[in-house]
Amino acid sequence: MGEVILTMKGIDKSFPGVHALDHVDLEIRKGEVLALMGENGAGKSTLMKVLTGIYKKDEGTITYEGKEVEFENPSAAQDAGVVIVHQELNMLSHLTVAQNIFIGREIMKGKLIDDEKMNEEAKKLFDKLNIEIDPKEIMGNLTVGKQQMCEIAKAISHDAKVIIFDEPSAALTEAEIEELFKIIRDLRDKQIGMVYISHRMDEIKAITDRVTVMRDGTYVGTLITKDSTKDDIINMMVGRVIYEDPKTESAVPKDAPVVLKVENLNAGKMVRNVSFELRKGEILGFSGLMGAGRTETMRALFGADEKDSGDVYINGKKVDIKCPQDAVKEGIGYLSEDRKRYGIVVAKSVAENTSMATMENFMNGLFINKKKEEEVSWQHVKALKTKTPTVETEVVNLSGGNQQKVVIAKWLTRDCDILIFDEPTRGIDVGAKSEIYTLMNELVAQGKSIIMVSSEMTEVLRMSDRVIVMCEGRKTGELDISEATQESIMHLATQRD
Amino acid sequence: MADNKKKSNALTNNALVKKIGGQQLVVILVMIALFIFFCVASESFGQYSTIVSIMDFSYYVTFIAIGVTFALMTGGNDLSIGTGMVCYSLIGGFLISKLGLPVGVGMIVTILCGMLMGTLNGFLVAVLELPPFIATLCTMMIVRGLGSIITGGVSLSWPAADAANGWFRSFFKMTVGNTKVPVGVVWIILAVIIMSIILTKTKPGRYIIAIGSNKEAARLSGVNVIKWHMLAYIICGFFTGLAGIAYAGTFQTLTPGTGAGLELDAICAAIIGGTSMYGGQGTIVGTLIGVFLMCILKTGLPYIGLQANWQQIIIGMVLILAVLMDVLRTKKRA
Amino acid sequence: MEKFKQNPIVKKIGFNRLILIGVLILMYLAFGLFCSLMGRATFFNISRLYSAFNYTYFLGFLALGVTFVIGTGGIDFSMGPVMFCSALISGYMLTKMNIPVVLAILVSALVGTLFGLFNGYLVAYWKMPSFITSMASMMLAKGIGSVFTKTQSVSWPSSMEANGWYRNLVKIPLGGGLYIPTGLVILAIAAVICATVLNNTKAGRYILCLGSNKEAVRLSGVDVKVWETLAYVICGMMAGIAAIFYVGAYTTVQPGLGDQFNNEAIASCVMGGTSMAGGVASIGGTFIGVLIISVLQEGILAMGFQKDYQYVITGIIVLVAVYADIRSRKRRN
Repeated sequence: MGEVILTMKGIDKSFPGVHALDHVDLEIRKGEVLALMGENGAGKSTLMKVLTGIYKKDEGTITYEGKEVEFENPSAAQDAGVVIVHQELNMLSHLTVAQNIFIGREIMKGKLIDDEKMNEEAKKLFDKLNIEIDPKEIMGNLTVGKQQMCEIAKAISHDAKVIIFDEPSAALTEAEIEELFKIIRDLRDKQIGMVYISHRMDEIKAITDRVTVMRDGTYVGTLITKDSTKDDIINMMVGRVIYEDPKTESAVPKDAPVVLKVENLNAGKMVRNVSFELRKGEILGFSGLMGAGRTETMRALFGADEKDSGDVYINGKKVDIKCPQDAVKEGIGYLSEDRKRYGIVVAKSVAENTSMATMENFMNGLFINKKKEEEVSWQHVKALKTKTPTVETEVVNLSGGNQQKVVIAKWLTRDCDILIFDEPTRGIDVGAKSEIYTLMNELVAQGKSIIMVSSEMTEVLRMSDRVIVMCEGRKTGELDISEATQESIMHLATQRD
Repeated sequence: MADNKKKSNALTNNALVKKIGGQQLVVILVMIALFIFFCVASESFGQYSTIVSIMDFSYYVTFIAIGVTFALMTGGNDLSIGTGMVCYSLIGGFLISKLGLPVGVGMIVTILCGMLMGTLNGFLVAVLELPPFIATLCTMMIVRGLGSIITGGVSLSWPAADAANGWFRSFFKMTVGNTKVPVGVVWIILAVIIMSIILTKTKPGRYIIAIGSNKEAARLSGVNVIKWHMLAYIICGFFTGLAGIAYAGTFQTLTPGTGAGLELDAICAAIIGGTSMYGGQGTIVGTLIGVFLMCILKTGLPYIGLQANWQQIIIGMVLILAVLMDVLRTKKRA
Repeated sequence: MEKFKQNPIVKKIGFNRLILIGVLILMYLAFGLFCSLMGRATFFNISRLYSAFNYTYFLGFLALGVTFVIGTGGIDFSMGPVMFCSALISGYMLTKMNIPVVLAILVSALVGTLFGLFNGYLVAYWKMPSFITSMASMMLAKGIGSVFTKTQSVSWPSSMEANGWYRNLVKIPLGGGLYIPTGLVILAIAAVICATVLNNTKAGRYILCLGSNKEAVRLSGVDVKVWETLAYVICGMMAGIAAIFYVGAYTTVQPGLGDQFNNEAIASCVMGGTSMAGGVASIGGTFIGVLIISVLQEGILAMGFQKDYQYVITGIIVLVAVYADIRSRKRRN
């Protein structure tokens, strides 16, 4: 067991309305791979961002090589030897691999850049890591896996002593992951300390030495990987907390009519052969880890992205949904997980956003009946308890929860029978959350059907009548709420082929 | 179908093709085809004098095209180059012909004016973060007005070739015996070589490409993005100044308020040559090839009876096609 | 100050627009002052006003049109040349082919509309950047106008001639150098219609919303491509109509010109509070902006300066307006 190179102690960080990190501890040792695990939103990424200087900590100390440090920005951390390999890559796709590795610190020959030498150095670096990449290749032409290797090589070329991998395997193929592991083992032999963030249990087992688990922004504990089982880790991740009134049995009769049937939906890499049914009056939960392809499935179903193949039936009738207009015509409404980008028009008023999908109901001949628009918006504001001074207020001035209610109002005016709620309570405070839950229950009581994509286990267990679990673009299981537990869902969510 | 694809893949992977670049190769072929077409369509096209007039055309277009390539490289644009070129040339010419200053001074002032405007453009785009096309549209209006305010709205010319101060004209065209030799080619080749090296082999060039490719990633790598972003526009301004000299050397009279539209020739040439409007991609050699395609087209059209108005229509079409290709190419990459 | 801003009348008109009106009045007075200081003929002359209005009419239509395009977050650099192209083609048909004036007016609007359709189609359906697309169609417009008239300039009939009645659309002479400025009335009506379309119809609503967040509008089940194209079509049609008011005031059009009017129309818009980033547009602001540009150009002429000063000033106005817009949006986020 190597000596400790970096310690984080009592790290505390709050964002407006969220206590993201609550006195978290972490210890990184030389020549060791530390897994950092936790559900989505447990605070793993925030902790690493605090470490590398992207966020400033509110409290706590970071000790690196025996000295207390606080990095000003990512490049300061880099210079000190603490580098992060991001999930989303920071690359210059038009430049070559070697040029990317040496950007900002080019090797010069007089006034000119010595590309030859940079290629050589990059080659040496790759040789050391046993990676086969041509340093002269244009970055954008490489596969995502190879690009990731280049990022790692770049990190190492900074004389890194600590490397953080933030979900490195999310976009890699099986073979590429093998290659990545070979490199990580190599680095371990070279006494480099590593943090490996991942959701994939088998990877954790295969590559890491210790596992630190976080939950809801707190430090839960650390296990020695080889002495613990998958179940131990899952238990730590989900905890023993009793969640608020989980649903114990489905409220929907087994023979309720199927309103939506999806068969063998395929779209890109993230949606592979997904089939499911939605019953009338049901809340169908979609659970899974980040990048499981749930949002992509919904977008393809809604026509927001092109689908490659697959059939969709609404009330038993086959429908052809090519674009959002088609979906809306078929009575589907979609609440996107990214409100600001896909849900609301921030610079427009509550009323304008409310009537967006149903303009034709507000027309008085050629003109918009603004009075009716305002009245209807007011009705929704009252019904949903949206906190807004007037319906002419621009949506940008509302809080996240109230913005979400405006989006819900948009689809309610449409009177859609099928509603897709993609992370309906993300970034919303507790009070507004339970209001949205109540609303969802009211909606299904009225005979509407809801698909709810959620990364929050509590939410899934509390709201759903049935749960579909996805992993890597495939449906890995379907559970009735009576048999669904956090453990059973987590097992399915980590079930890779 | 699949066979065809394989074939085209084999072709694109061919070492020589890779070196020159697939698109450039196509453009060269189109250029040759165009040249042959004009030669066949009009007997008088294939003469030495036509070649000289194509070259005459090409000098200033090359300079502004090289300049705008740098602006395009950053993902920006510079619409002020056409009008600017004429404006700086007018200012230089005013100093020479009206104030009697030496030609050398006029030339230096022309270049300095260009760099000054380039700095302003760079400031507006890199520091104030205005959209490049709107910022440079405004400076285009400003230089358009300035050129004619300074000269009092009247046309003027730089010294003629046989005048005492006309030596600068032999930079571009020398008369040896009875033949005119387009010596400006030397400058063009020199400019292309130097700017190619700067773009591909020096830090400024590297960082300009990096900014166009992913500004945030470049910034996070510790690159001073504002400085290099500005530099791209200063280089563009410098070349606009050079183009001003070439313009004055090629044409007899300079008229205030002209030059609008020439920027489109240059931008079109750069895009045809493989420079992307979305930044990060392009070569100076490609731009040069694009320039010659444009020049042959512009010179050749009158020979088949299509005058300036048809030229505009055809260049407009070519521009739309070039941009469309760029849009589709970028979409494919993403 | 805050109290003044909260005043209901001020709120109704808009604080920024009130400032603009103030600028307009001050500018008018300042030009008068300068003219008398410089010993030139007085600026406060009804004929100066008529002359300024002549400029207002066609520029007004151009600016109203481009307000829609800027509302979508795009730009149109082709409308000036398109206006000339429309005037050339319809004028040529009127004078050389003897079609009725009414038909000529329709042809003019149609030509403009077709250019708008072309721009809109390329921008909305092919996702081409609007500024370069419209610059290309600017060249097309110049070339086509010139080819159609065989590079000749075209003079529309004067008010004395048989077909000259269309000039009454611009102004009706009362004798003694006095006119009824019908153009101003028509432009005001057009502005009201445009404001209604922009604020009270589905088209306007979608145009502004997609300028603000296209993806959110698309995911609400709206066919955004159609509405985006429509903005360019409106702009083109307005350029075609502007052509009639141009020839109504100035009679003659030459091929190959018209680009400076783009800049002035865009300047009127951004000055009036229409955001280059899209989503926010004010027809009232555009209207005042047009008046400011008209007074500016008349004042510069009255002071005996060349039109070139106007280019410089317009350029600076746009820079300042765009920068102010960017700053205020940054502060809000």
